[in-house]
Amino acid sequence: MDGPKVVMSLMFFTMAFAFYAITAVLYIGHWIFKKKWLGQTATAMAVIAAFAMTMMLISRAGESGHAPFSNLYESMALFIWALTIGYLIMEVKYKLKVIGAFVMSIAFLAMLAASMLPYRFKAVGPLNPALQNKWKWMVDLFEKFGLERYAIGWLDFHVFTTFIGYAAFAIAFGISIMYLIKVRGEKSGKEGGLMSKLPSSKMLDEISYRGIAWGFPFLGIGIVSGAVWANAAWGTYWSWDPKETWSLITWFVYAAYLHARVTRGWRGTKCAWVSILGFLAILFLYWGVSFILPGLHAYA
Amino acid sequence: MSASEKNKKSKKGIGSRIWYFFNSLKLTLFTLFSLASTSIIGTVVQQNEERRVYLMEYGEKWTDIIYQFKLNDMYHSEWFAALLGLLILNILVCTIERFPPKWRVVLANKPNFNPSFIDKLSTRKVFTVEDDAETVKERLRKIFKKKRYKFVSDESGEGYAVYGWRGRIGRFGSDFVHISLFVIIAGAIVGSVYGYKDFKVVTVGGGVSVKEADFTLRLDKFWIDYYETGQIRQYNSILTVLEEGKEVLSKQIWVNEPLLYKGIRFYQSSWGKHWRKIKTARMAFWPDGKEENEVVFMVGWEEKTKVPGTDYTVHLTGYVADFAVDEKSKSIFSKSIEPENPAINVTIYRGEKKISSRWIFQKYPDFYKVLPDSNDNFVFKAYRSVLFSGISVNKDPGTNWVWLGCSIMGLGVYMAFFIFYRRVWINIRSVGNSTEVKIGAMINKNQLAIEKDLEDIAKALAGSGK
Repeated sequence: MDGPKVVMSLMFFTMAFAFYAITAVLYIGHWIFKKKWLGQTATAMAVIAAFAMTMMLISRAGESGHAPFSNLYESMALFIWALTIGYLIMEVKYKLKVIGAFVMSIAFLAMLAASMLPYRFKAVGPLNPALQNKWKWMVDLFEKFGLERYAIGWLDFHVFTTFIGYAAFAIAFGISIMYLIKVRGEKSGKEGGLMSKLPSSKMLDEISYRGIAWGFPFLGIGIVSGAVWANAAWGTYWSWDPKETWSLITWFVYAAYLHARVTRGWRGTKCAWVSILGFLAILFLYWGVSFILPGLHAYA
Repeated sequence: MSASEKNKKSKKGIGSRIWYFFNSLKLTLFTLFSLASTSIIGTVVQQNEERRVYLMEYGEKWTDIIYQFKLNDMYHSEWFAALLGLLILNILVCTIERFPPKWRVVLANKPNFNPSFIDKLSTRKVFTVEDDAETVKERLRKIFKKKRYKFVSDESGEGYAVYGWRGRIGRFGSDFVHISLFVIIAGAIVGSVYGYKDFKVVTVGGGVSVKEADFTLRLDKFWIDYYETGQIRQYNSILTVLEEGKEVLSKQIWVNEPLLYKGIRFYQSSWGKHWRKIKTARMAFWPDGKEENEVVFMVGWEEKTKVPGTDYTVHLTGYVADFAVDEKSKSIFSKSIEPENPAINVTIYRGEKKISSRWIFQKYPDFYKVLPDSNDNFVFKAYRSVLFSGISVNKDPGTNWVWLGCSIMGLGVYMAFFIFYRRVWINIRSVGNSTEVKIGAMINKNQLAIEKDLEDIAKALAGSGK
């Protein structure tokens, strides 16, 4: 297996990259010029980008022989995929295409960051011993049909749920920034121009909160499944390794957000800032810990 | 909630003041932000290192500060435990204070049927339907059934008053989450009090004994699997459980697949080359100290080998990977497990007579003469390692508590975030041939959901929601 083949996944990645660029530009164009066709095209392009990303993940799994969650590059792809799917669901639900200008820009920036990763974070490689975990009951079940290599385990579950959480927080972050811009516009009384095309501040506040209400349980499931897995692999469910600790820090920040909001009635600007703070913690949890603080999670 | 807070405060007794302190949500926010920000320290400052590591990194002054505040093991320090304790007390008091009244209010279900109450709600709608009241009532029953609302009605006042609700259980989601935290913490405490952790290094044929257990383990086999690329795929040990010398069971363990026996788990944790043991050593005999005439021979661990063409016999009795001498006891030890300075201990016989016992070094073949009164010399050229299997031993009777707590938390989070407590007040009144409808609604979160419900109910009542 010298020089693993990554041609297919690279092709889909490149395709997705192009479509994310187009999508972001179109959504921003839709925000500025308020042309209906721009918005519709943007959504269509976003769907194609999501499709390309799905194909990229599937082909990557085919190339590496395991679920594509094992290094920074693969996890970025998963993050962008979850972000896009989450956004599209939101667009169907709330019909607010302006949000796409912000969220899809984040997706494009993430795409850019993923493509610029040094090779050692991108290389397709086999799983090291600690990452090899498959649910026994699933392997047993799939074995009957000869499909045991498609069985999943704690690695897949843990990473997948965690990244749905990250994506939800990223959406909440984008909307919180929109909120701050909108409120600024409302205060200065300049109702015209780009500001007026943003949804009402009350709406933004509410949707941002919904994002966090989705992210919080998923991050929680991610932490708990990580603990279950750590207990199976290393014999301790919690060892205060930097990644674990930072996940707890992030969880504390969002727990504070929820308590402030639900029981102390915080709304608006204060909440937006806590949401931004929370996402900065996520960024550090995701990238900072991997690059700066060594530990068991150093690979992703 | 605020009324009872004021009540507690006005009494001003020391007990109730303490109670008030722990009942405050400001304390919750303070504790959460404090825990979040102080936790960062332990991810930056390395934990559980030796003092010299901190001295090298931070200098003397900061090292003292680190030790003073126990930042070298901060997650087990008293002040961190105190912060956690503060959070737990806070949650406990808040739960005691808030849960019973909430329970009573939610279950009592004494709705306000006064139509003027609806006027005060921020989410409301008033409209007229060109049908009679009975038709509208029938439509209301249908839409409530469709939207899975429960309801009670009252006709004693003005018109027909209805109170409908859904997702009452969602109100208790946060209480479930708070209770789950107690269970998790209880599990952690049980684990740290009754639990047991150890790490054992064992070579094939060797045993693992655990203080707390009435059985021992024997390592029967250890091996490493490789990928085609040469990367390690997995490492495995076969362990046999022995009770009073009798074999009970054997199991192959690997990373992610531990052995569980009598509540104690044995994990494949690491592996390495043993630092006090080797399989064989390759040595050379230099007659009269001359390398060019060397005779190479192998000697097995703790075995005697006759050197070919001589009357010398070599007995390999010891090995260290990283040679060092303890100054006090003068004993030999290995500074690390890395083969930085490998050395073997050999005893040399001439015929049957023991003439020398020396440590000889792989890296310094001519360091000193091995034999006291001859120029003949022996050198240590190479060796084959013995692999050890690193087994983590762990007994944690609190683990199941932690999982129970996590499950309760999952349930609680689901209830809190995805089941909304929706309440709707409706007043239906005949005005001539048509019917006036007033609807007001409230939800504990997700305002958009209740606005949609209100819209749907209004449409249905107007007869256009089919």
